[in-house]
Amino acid sequence: MFRTLKSAVLATALMAGTAIANPYADFEGTTLVVNFPAHPHYDAVMKILPEFTKETGIEVEVDQLPYLKMRERQTLELAQDEGEYDLIAYVVFSKADYVYADQLENLAKYVMNPKLTDPNYDADDLIDGYVYNIGFAGGNKGYLAGKTGSLFGIPYGSETSILGYRKDIFEKHGLAVPETYDEMLALACKIPELEPGMGGLSSRAASGHHAAHAFLLHLAPLGGRVFDDSWNPIVNNEAGVAAANALKTIVDCGPEGAKNFGFGEALGAFLNGDTAMFLDTTVVAGQIDNPDKSKVVGKVGWALHPMGTRRGSQTGGFGIGIPSNAENKDAAYLLMQWLTSKKGDKLVALAGGNPSRFSTHADADVNAKFPHMATFGEALQYADPDWRPIIPVWGKINADLGTTLSKVLTEDLDVKEALDGVAERAKGVMDEAGYYTWQ
Amino acid sequence: MAQSTTKNNSAFFAVIALMVFMAIGPVLLMLVNSFKLDVDIISGTSGLLFLPTIQNYETALCDVLWYEPEHLDFCSVKFGGAFVNSLIIALVSTTLTLVIGSMAAYALVRFRFMGRDTVSMTTLMVRMVPPAVLLVPVFGLWNNEFCLDKEGFLGGMIREAFGGRGDVCLAGTHSGIILIYVAMNLPFVIWILQSFIVQVPRSLEEAARVDGAGPFGVFFRIVLPLIKPGLAAAAIFTFRIAWNEYLLASALSDRNTKTVPILIVNNMSEFNVEWGVIMATGMLLAIPPIIFTLFASRQIITGMTAGAVKG
Amino acid sequence: MTHSPDINDPEILKPPARKRSWQQKMNRLSPYMFMVPAVVIMAIALIYPLGYMIWGSFRDWNPSQSIGEAEFVGLKNYITLWGDPNFRESLGVTLRFAFIVVGVEMILGVGLALLLDRDIRGMSVLRTMFILPMMIAPVVVGLMWRYMYHPTVGTFNRTLESMGLPKVDWLGDHALLSVIIADIWQWTPFIFILSLAALQSLPRSALEAARIDGATAWQQIWFIKLPLMLPVLIVTCLLRLIDAFKVLEVILVLTQGGPGLSTEILALRISRTATEFRELGVAAAMSNYLLILLLIFTLGMFAFTRWQEIRASRVRAAAEDAS
Repeated sequence: MFRTLKSAVLATALMAGTAIANPYADFEGTTLVVNFPAHPHYDAVMKILPEFTKETGIEVEVDQLPYLKMRERQTLELAQDEGEYDLIAYVVFSKADYVYADQLENLAKYVMNPKLTDPNYDADDLIDGYVYNIGFAGGNKGYLAGKTGSLFGIPYGSETSILGYRKDIFEKHGLAVPETYDEMLALACKIPELEPGMGGLSSRAASGHHAAHAFLLHLAPLGGRVFDDSWNPIVNNEAGVAAANALKTIVDCGPEGAKNFGFGEALGAFLNGDTAMFLDTTVVAGQIDNPDKSKVVGKVGWALHPMGTRRGSQTGGFGIGIPSNAENKDAAYLLMQWLTSKKGDKLVALAGGNPSRFSTHADADVNAKFPHMATFGEALQYADPDWRPIIPVWGKINADLGTTLSKVLTEDLDVKEALDGVAERAKGVMDEAGYYTWQ
Repeated sequence: MAQSTTKNNSAFFAVIALMVFMAIGPVLLMLVNSFKLDVDIISGTSGLLFLPTIQNYETALCDVLWYEPEHLDFCSVKFGGAFVNSLIIALVSTTLTLVIGSMAAYALVRFRFMGRDTVSMTTLMVRMVPPAVLLVPVFGLWNNEFCLDKEGFLGGMIREAFGGRGDVCLAGTHSGIILIYVAMNLPFVIWILQSFIVQVPRSLEEAARVDGAGPFGVFFRIVLPLIKPGLAAAAIFTFRIAWNEYLLASALSDRNTKTVPILIVNNMSEFNVEWGVIMATGMLLAIPPIIFTLFASRQIITGMTAGAVKG
Repeated sequence: MTHSPDINDPEILKPPARKRSWQQKMNRLSPYMFMVPAVVIMAIALIYPLGYMIWGSFRDWNPSQSIGEAEFVGLKNYITLWGDPNFRESLGVTLRFAFIVVGVEMILGVGLALLLDRDIRGMSVLRTMFILPMMIAPVVVGLMWRYMYHPTVGTFNRTLESMGLPKVDWLGDHALLSVIIADIWQWTPFIFILSLAALQSLPRSALEAARIDGATAWQQIWFIKLPLMLPVLIVTCLLRLIDAFKVLEVILVLTQGGPGLSTEILALRISRTATEFRELGVAAAMSNYLLILLLIFTLGMFAFTRWQEIRASRVRAAAEDAS
């Protein structure tokens, strides 16, 4: 009796305390303009934003765009003296561009500000691979963790790769979930024989960014890299050829029309039950369990990205940062902190988003709702922040890689020759950008 | 003989039926699909057996509906706002193009003056410029050069009145998009209206002038009413381009000035193609042109033939 | 010299001298006043941008710089492009697309017009339906066809499947063909309607004469109708050709230029270079190449109409001489 009373008093006191010391008081009534991508994670964010407004009195106006479009828009906005956006979500490979052009706020001064930073934020709980890949800049090679770097953004809506497979099909034919690349590729081509009309694995392959992404996804686990330590392109070495061949095999044994699949089509094929496996980002989990969109609800199991010569799943997705030309930087920081706090992260995970914290992956409520969360957490241990270089000229090399690979897939170009071409052109781009100045 | 005519006739009608089917089939398909749920579209074993739903239209129009549709967690499409933008941009640019274009066409037909040949030649030449070619310069100019300093008098007033941040630039405003549409459509309108103005009898204009009308009076009170069919044709073609254009609008608009084509392309998002909603927005975008076609097909055809025959 | 002559017409009641000179001035100025708005707008928003683009094409220019900050690189962009196999391929795709599309549309459109050149009731209703595809936004056309071409849920593959035929990978293996079909769907009616109009305005006397002489239907088409329609057909063809170089949205929505570069027409490549690769200078140079190409076609069209006018006046002169 006495104890309950005591705790009730304590609770009241706490509530009163928060009511008096409301860190958001100064910003009540502010309207933040934020730029988010059209992406399942940010769709989930849209659902939790009203909660933020209710709690803090800060209004949020969201400009949601497809992510390549969003990048275009940001290029323009961030170059102005005074920008429209207070908070932006940026694609991981924009990190280099923005930081290099001094367009993102260094977060140090906000973290130092006792009026803004919540002491219970627990930054150590954020997933290391994500933080270094997405939020951190200026370390080793400019984009990796290292002593010279600092933080410019916080990972939000980040993702890693994972293998989804159809439990029912695998059980029916007594197939084992692939652990290695050889097993996976063999299975990918075996499934169309076992299940006529069904593709093995659906992957993106469309010209440009999609094909490049799919290739890089296989490059890291197969032991390859885009550049060696002195920035020489090595996409055309053995590992590179193996990765391109893996992609080709997957597409050839894939579902109808696979050569021109973008991410949406690849996912669509899996949702529609046209393929038995799906190897791509973790963001799709929410949709696979949504009966409005998916015909495979409850039939999908999850496994780690298979191993080639090593384990290496991708890291990517989005981070959120404050543009240097923003109007309401402090309030934007508060929103950023709220979204990535333990509470916000859990809310967004429950709404179907991708959590950025270890604790959320281990959270009982989240796991009860999404049993795959544990596997995803395990996959994160192997997340490889160096699977794709994040340097300012990457966009150009990426585009060339993507179109060339698409030609390999559709026009039967020789793999080695095609990759030699990419490497040669990449070398030219790198030279022009000054990467060989010190050699 | 009689038999061969009937055979001919039935073949003739078969060809016509096929053409009609091909011309409107895809549009009907879109219409039907816009009333289906995504699950029905994707599984869609049969084309016509389904439960029609207006859910897609509710999703598309969520920002202008007076109630909150139950199936939505939040409103993402915001078709209403884009529709208003499209309407403002298309209507204003069409009106301006017609007024300015008909004046220029009148001058080119009725007066001899210095520079006439240069103007008429330039007008003809710039007709061929594709929007894609204008993309780079317009993007650069509208964002960086055609700006008013926010500290300046006019710029300051605009910022005061409309809010927003930074220098006042053409990019991101309705006026910016309207300006480029007017410029793009002018050559065509001038060209097509010339052939109508030539047919206006001079005697009418002279009579009006004797009655004491100035050149503008003659033009607005005598000439314009007489070339109404030409104006209608030109209006439809101008409206069509301003209403349907995507590329330049997407480079110049910001979050508040998006037009409907941009919205549609944006919603073909790669993560999740929501066919039903996209078909519904596509249908809504197509409605004004369809209405025009139904009610003004004669003017459209007049415009087309006048355009081609004059060369 | 610069005003319309009727002002000096003696029959007009002469107004008082002062007013008259004012009016004269008005009259001399009025053509310019009519022209000014159009000239100003076209100068600001067409001519100046085109000049700006030519200037920009000599620079290494990215979207976050203003043009003044961009470095001058001379002809480098043009030379790089000329040696760039991707650009050449894209140029090839553009030419192939434009010529195939216009060729097929001409044959189909003119053929259908010849076939359907009869007086039937309800022709105006039919024509209305045929213009529909042209009036609908290219973006919407793209999305309709993208749905119909969809590998699994699309109309075509479903139909093929239900007839027991193998599915076709429309937007993968046959992307260019698919894009061409969509364009033919949208624009054949244009040619059809113009040819029909041309056919119906042919002089009846020539056709009558041929019929009396016992010419077969084929002979009538081949020796009478087509030659008489030719001027209109050539202009139509050139107009369509110039328009075919402007196509962008349909392809953007259907394939985004892929797979590979198989449907990446120049207009699309310009917009990708500008927005995705962020190289405004190169995009400007590419725009200039496209502009030069179109200039050639436009000049061709001018030359043709001029030649036709000359020929027509000669024929008229000859006829007058004869009479």
